[in-house]
Amino acid sequence: MPYVVQSDSLSKRYGNVLAVDDLTFAIEAGTITGFLGPNGAGKSTTLRMLLGLAKPTGGHATVFGSPYDQLESPALRIGAVLEATDFHPGRSGQDHLRMLSRAVGLPDARVDEVLSLVELQGAAKRRVKGYSLGMRQRLGLAAALLGNPDLLVLDEPANGLDPEGVRWLRDFLRDFASGGRTVLISSHVLAEIAQTVDQVLIINHGRLVIESTLDELTARVGAVVRVQSPKIDELANALQREGIVTTRSNDRALLAQGTTRERVGDIALASGIAVHELVSEGSSLEEVFLDLTSVETKS
Amino acid sequence: MNQLKAELLKIRSTRTTIGLLLGLIALALLFTILTCTLSPGSQLLTEQDQLSLLSFGSIAGVFAALAGVMLFTSEYRFGTIRPTSLFNPSRRRLFATKVAAGVLSGLVFGAIGEGLVFSIGMMILKIRGVSILMSGANMTELLIGALIGTALWGAIGVALGAVVPNQVGAVIALLAWGFVVENLVFGFLPKIGRFLPVHASDSMMGNVQDKLLPGNAGTLVTVGWALVLSVVGLVLLKRRDIS
Repeated sequence: MPYVVQSDSLSKRYGNVLAVDDLTFAIEAGTITGFLGPNGAGKSTTLRMLLGLAKPTGGHATVFGSPYDQLESPALRIGAVLEATDFHPGRSGQDHLRMLSRAVGLPDARVDEVLSLVELQGAAKRRVKGYSLGMRQRLGLAAALLGNPDLLVLDEPANGLDPEGVRWLRDFLRDFASGGRTVLISSHVLAEIAQTVDQVLIINHGRLVIESTLDELTARVGAVVRVQSPKIDELANALQREGIVTTRSNDRALLAQGTTRERVGDIALASGIAVHELVSEGSSLEEVFLDLTSVETKS
Repeated sequence: MNQLKAELLKIRSTRTTIGLLLGLIALALLFTILTCTLSPGSQLLTEQDQLSLLSFGSIAGVFAALAGVMLFTSEYRFGTIRPTSLFNPSRRRLFATKVAAGVLSGLVFGAIGEGLVFSIGMMILKIRGVSILMSGANMTELLIGALIGTALWGAIGVALGAVVPNQVGAVIALLAWGFVVENLVFGFLPKIGRFLPVHASDSMMGNVQDKLLPGNAGTLVTVGWALVLSVVGLVLLKRRDIS
């Protein structure tokens, strides 16, 4: 399967600072990828190079097989939101979208469609300076969706959103990706996007720390799965036979170390044991993330 | 053409350009009414006196240049350069589109500015009974020169905005150059000063002042300034990252 996004030994140097250092990764179609790293890790610089806004000092980045600026009408294939503040405060949301849609020959009707999609039609004619941060985030998303793209690139889209906004964004992205489209979403807070993404790329100091699925990441660093069953002893034996260390939590639940919910569920099913609860816990994903990035920092 | 439509919508959809237009209209009306009404008849006796008075519409060039400067600098100031560049990733095409938009808005500024000064000025002079000494050719040169001049200043403003993306810096640079530096150079060294852009474009409106270049040469020199600044602006635009 051809990759939607490909970064090959990508590097960017600003004076003495190596913001992105020999970064190689690839993203397949139909996935939601979390691009993670602490502030200053090089995420935004990488996204800008992917989108043709910044020139790499080494390596190259392609989207749909070509550098962004060499694609024919890239805004019709790729939608991106890099900052929640990229609006003229004195321009209405509708005019902001119209000036972008006209640049690529889209009809004004498409503007109304995306405004409706992000639930901003009521504020379309208001000047952006009267928008809340959440509304600005959604206006940015509307701009990215104008060309009905196959790839969405979002840089810290959950920044400043209230929990309701984060949930709205999560549902929206899931819905977007369900049709086989691709999302690349950056964040410095893993928990913010953990429920949204299928896989993660973690970078620190411009270098790739890990590229894996979320479940692999969880298992890799010794996550804990809490499982509840009416036949808890039989389940403990079944898990131990598969080499999984278990600890009794109470008379109906146990903690399975260093595994995933899927594996525990599969073993229970194969053993014919009913499961009443199956929850990932123990070291949180955030701890995993901090652990990975702090190890990288120390090395 | 699509991108030009987008640029023109950008100009129309904020109050900045309307504010500049209103400022131009107010200044043109104030100056024309005051000077045409209050100038003693003895100062309106020659063709050059009258040309000088009615060429005040060239001030529209300042407003056209300011509007042009805004086309790039407000994109950087408010971050819209990012979505703009994502929708139009060719920097060369983006630059050309903005220059075209700057030229078109310059034409509008020129038509309104010189149109007001000329029509109201002529009306007042006629009411005062001053005999009009300018020939039809002079008047045509004045009006066409004003239009082309402000269009070129629109382009120069766009190019300056690409060279100096900081809005305050670009506006200060433009005003300081136009109102201070050039006047000082022209005052002390007119043989050099007449080749500078403001004085070169002034000469496009006819023989309004001694020491200026002939009209055609002034047009060529102003076009040259617009081209040189455009080349520098385009090179810098292509070279700079958009952060």
